[in-house]
Amino acid sequence: MASSTSIPSDASSRKKYSREIVLLTTLLLLLLSVVFTAFAARMYHKKYHVLADEWFARGEQDFHSGNARAALGDYRNALLYSPGNTNFQFHLAQALAGTGRDDEARAYLTILLSDSPGSGQINLELARIAGHAGPKAMPEALRYYHAAIYGVWDTDPIAMRWRIRKEFCEYLLNNDAMNQAEAEIIALADNTSGEDIPGQKIAGNLLLRARMWSRALQEFQTLLSHDPRDPDVLAGVATAAFELGQYSKADECLNRLPREKLSAPDLARMREVSKAIVSLNPFAPGLSTDQKAKRTATAMALAQARATACERQSDGAPSGSHPTSGLESALARSKQNEGDWTERNLRRHPERVEKAMPSVFEMEDAAAERCGEPQGADYALWLISRSRGGNTR
Amino acid sequence: MSFTTLPPAAPDTKPDPISQSSSRPVRNLWATWRSWSNRIFALREDQLFLFLAVLIGIFSGLAVVCFRMAIEWVHLVSLGSSMFPPVPRVLIVPTAGGLVVALMVIYVFPGARGSGVNQTKAAVYVSNGYIPFNAVVGKFLICALGIGTGQSLGPEDPSLQIGAGIASLMGRRLNLSQEKVRLIAPVGAAAGLAAAFNAPISSVIFVIEEVIGTWSAGVLGAIVLAAVSAVVTMRSFMGPESLFRVPPFRIASAGELLAYVVLGIIGGGASLLFLKWLAYARPRIQKWPSWTQYFQPAAAGLMIGFIGIRLPQVMGAGYSAIDQALHGQFSWKLLLVLAALKIFATGLSFLSGVPGGMFAPTLFIGAMLGGAVGSIEHHFFPSLTGTVGTYALVGMGVFFAGFLRTPITSVFMVIEVSGSYTAILPIMVANLVAYLISRTYQKVPLFDLLARQDGMILPSIEEQREQVPLTVEVAMKTDGAVVALPDELARDLARRAEAKKDAPILVRTNPGQWLLLDREEIRQLAADGAMNTKAVEAKPKGPLPVLFRDQSLEDALHAVGDWPAVPVVSRADLSKFEGIVTLADILRAFRNASLE
Repeated sequence: MASSTSIPSDASSRKKYSREIVLLTTLLLLLLSVVFTAFAARMYHKKYHVLADEWFARGEQDFHSGNARAALGDYRNALLYSPGNTNFQFHLAQALAGTGRDDEARAYLTILLSDSPGSGQINLELARIAGHAGPKAMPEALRYYHAAIYGVWDTDPIAMRWRIRKEFCEYLLNNDAMNQAEAEIIALADNTSGEDIPGQKIAGNLLLRARMWSRALQEFQTLLSHDPRDPDVLAGVATAAFELGQYSKADECLNRLPREKLSAPDLARMREVSKAIVSLNPFAPGLSTDQKAKRTATAMALAQARATACERQSDGAPSGSHPTSGLESALARSKQNEGDWTERNLRRHPERVEKAMPSVFEMEDAAAERCGEPQGADYALWLISRSRGGNTR
Repeated sequence: MSFTTLPPAAPDTKPDPISQSSSRPVRNLWATWRSWSNRIFALREDQLFLFLAVLIGIFSGLAVVCFRMAIEWVHLVSLGSSMFPPVPRVLIVPTAGGLVVALMVIYVFPGARGSGVNQTKAAVYVSNGYIPFNAVVGKFLICALGIGTGQSLGPEDPSLQIGAGIASLMGRRLNLSQEKVRLIAPVGAAAGLAAAFNAPISSVIFVIEEVIGTWSAGVLGAIVLAAVSAVVTMRSFMGPESLFRVPPFRIASAGELLAYVVLGIIGGGASLLFLKWLAYARPRIQKWPSWTQYFQPAAAGLMIGFIGIRLPQVMGAGYSAIDQALHGQFSWKLLLVLAALKIFATGLSFLSGVPGGMFAPTLFIGAMLGGAVGSIEHHFFPSLTGTVGTYALVGMGVFFAGFLRTPITSVFMVIEVSGSYTAILPIMVANLVAYLISRTYQKVPLFDLLARQDGMILPSIEEQREQVPLTVEVAMKTDGAVVALPDELARDLARRAEAKKDAPILVRTNPGQWLLLDREEIRQLAADGAMNTKAVEAKPKGPLPVLFRDQSLEDALHAVGDWPAVPVVSRADLSKFEGIVTLADILRAFRNASLE
């Protein structure tokens, strides 16, 4: 028995109740307690679920409105009420990455990845974080991007994989990883459905960025057959054709572009150059002998003027800074044959065009080497020269 | 240990009010119940104790679930659902909460003041298992209010006391014997702690390591049953998840343990500083004028509120922040700041007299400190494979071991609350280092210190644990007896006995049975001159109890009784004589030990 000296009140109370009644009361109390606790716990969990969902919804709203910092707090609050929720954790990691807290985001995602290593979403986020870390993290980014492409996606996996591959290609292009980019862009183009016009446009543009001109031209020409007026496609064809030296095709497409599209500086310049090439090129198919002779004579005059100007310009430069042989000898040779290469003589002897134009190209190349890339009509001649040399990519 | 069977007849002898006055179905029900209860009370008290342990576990589990929900409810109502509440709220709520806590402690529930561990120990060693139920109610309400409004304390110590209080009440109401009532409080304490931490093993070990001090078989079964029932109950309502989720990690090489040793040293030093601060400040604050007690918790609350404006993680128990630290969510600077501010805030709450536990803050500080040390070590040694989360996890154990000074509990606690066994080696190594540092520079552990400051000298389990027991070996004499062979002739033995004048004469008869021969009888037999008279014919006394050299001197004292001497024999061969012990030898050994 308990000490009566230390707990007198208790001792007296014990006399009042039999042990059967105490045990019965205890068991009834236990039953009541279980019922009460079950009710309270249900309310508690319900409240927690509601709070978690509310904070998560607020986080989603903030995140999608571009306020990643506010979303971060909201997701954290959501996780307070549902700490094991992997969806919340994933979104928190996204928000952390969105606010530049990549290390923290990576920590969350690595844990999530250990639970579901095949998750496309988690791998994609990790790939993006690795992508932020610069070239040194490129192997990591490649690994995660590949895991994301071949990972598990709950909704529309084909479209998701396409989108990730596109992002992956852009990442590679941005980081000058051309070799890997080429393979991925080809895979992207191959995985683009024929009906997916926007997708094909994206693939074509990526091919252009990867300087895969032939493949890009092929891609855009296919698109052009669907809609011959699509300005994006026309621009794509024009660019690819221009880079492949198919200036008349480029010029033709550029001419079909609406004016507002041509306001883009690169397209405007391309149009200007291709127009000049088309008007200057004596090798263009379908030209009459007179037209060829006239263009050759014009080209000769332009090239001599450029070479002479360049020679004068470089005369002011310190002696010995340029080799004298190239430009001077090209100019001298052209002067030597000046009589043979007049418009009239060329009209009479059309075969001389084939000898005159190499001299033009020689002067333009030598001038470009000494004085830098030419402008305007000289640039057009220089490009004709290069295209004659052959650019088969 | 008591094996009394309680009389089941008591209720039978009394007139039964229900059977006399109620309708027939009620009478039938009552009769059925009486038959069942009689069977229960017909159990031996040990068996009844185990049955009650299960009930105590369930009750404690339910109480702890309600306690946790109450804390959360107070938090939601007072501070709102956001991690970063508005500034006025962060300042006003802990201050107002502190004021209400002070008034409740002073006017309504004075028994709720102080450490739950010490109150349970006091119940065991001072008040025969009595814990006033008023203190339990008070602890529940005040701690829910204090922790819920942001005081930097944890719910585990109150949970422990709530469990102990429920157990004490049940023991008393069911008229258990005094011994069982005294032992029932630790049973409830284990249940309360197990439910609070969702950690049955470490709570059992803690109660044994800190409250009872011995692995007594009489109470161990009940403690285990109560802890398991409490955890099962808690999990049915709150889910089976561990308190913290630990990211996966591995420790690549044994050399990395050195990094954890460094953590042990730093954690041990920090826990020591925290202990020293509390030990220094508490008696001084207790001497302040009594009117300040009304405002101390409010002042502490206001200061914690100021910290909470920027770092709300410091407020309350801080479990979610621990979880974040385990997931490497904080920079090392923030981790260090959080550790330092949590020490400050917990010290404030504790010293101001707000009831609440130190377990959760200890884990918080340890996690932050561990994470910070891990981050810094990673900076200098990037090849370390343990993540920052691993260091945070180990840090939890380190600070627990250094501050609460329960080394074994600290290891199991960290494993159980994290559900991860991977870090067992670093935890063991680092905890030991921290424990040794704390033990070396702070002789009195926290709970003993608090009890002494409150004017109670409770038995120090740590001191008991570390006491080297005096053994028979210290007192025995190897050549203090004449040992006769069973068939030795009396005249030969008498001749040998002459060489050792006062030594007792022993003879082994059957294997392991020793008898005492009377020196005069031997001499008489030898003097009678019979050539073949054997020594054993000299009316030996016995059989004598035997002792082993590793037995305690207390055992030897019991064994010697009225015998002039008791043989010490080998455990492997009871016939092998190793020495002899007399009452005088034992007393001399005790005296020498006390002089040392």
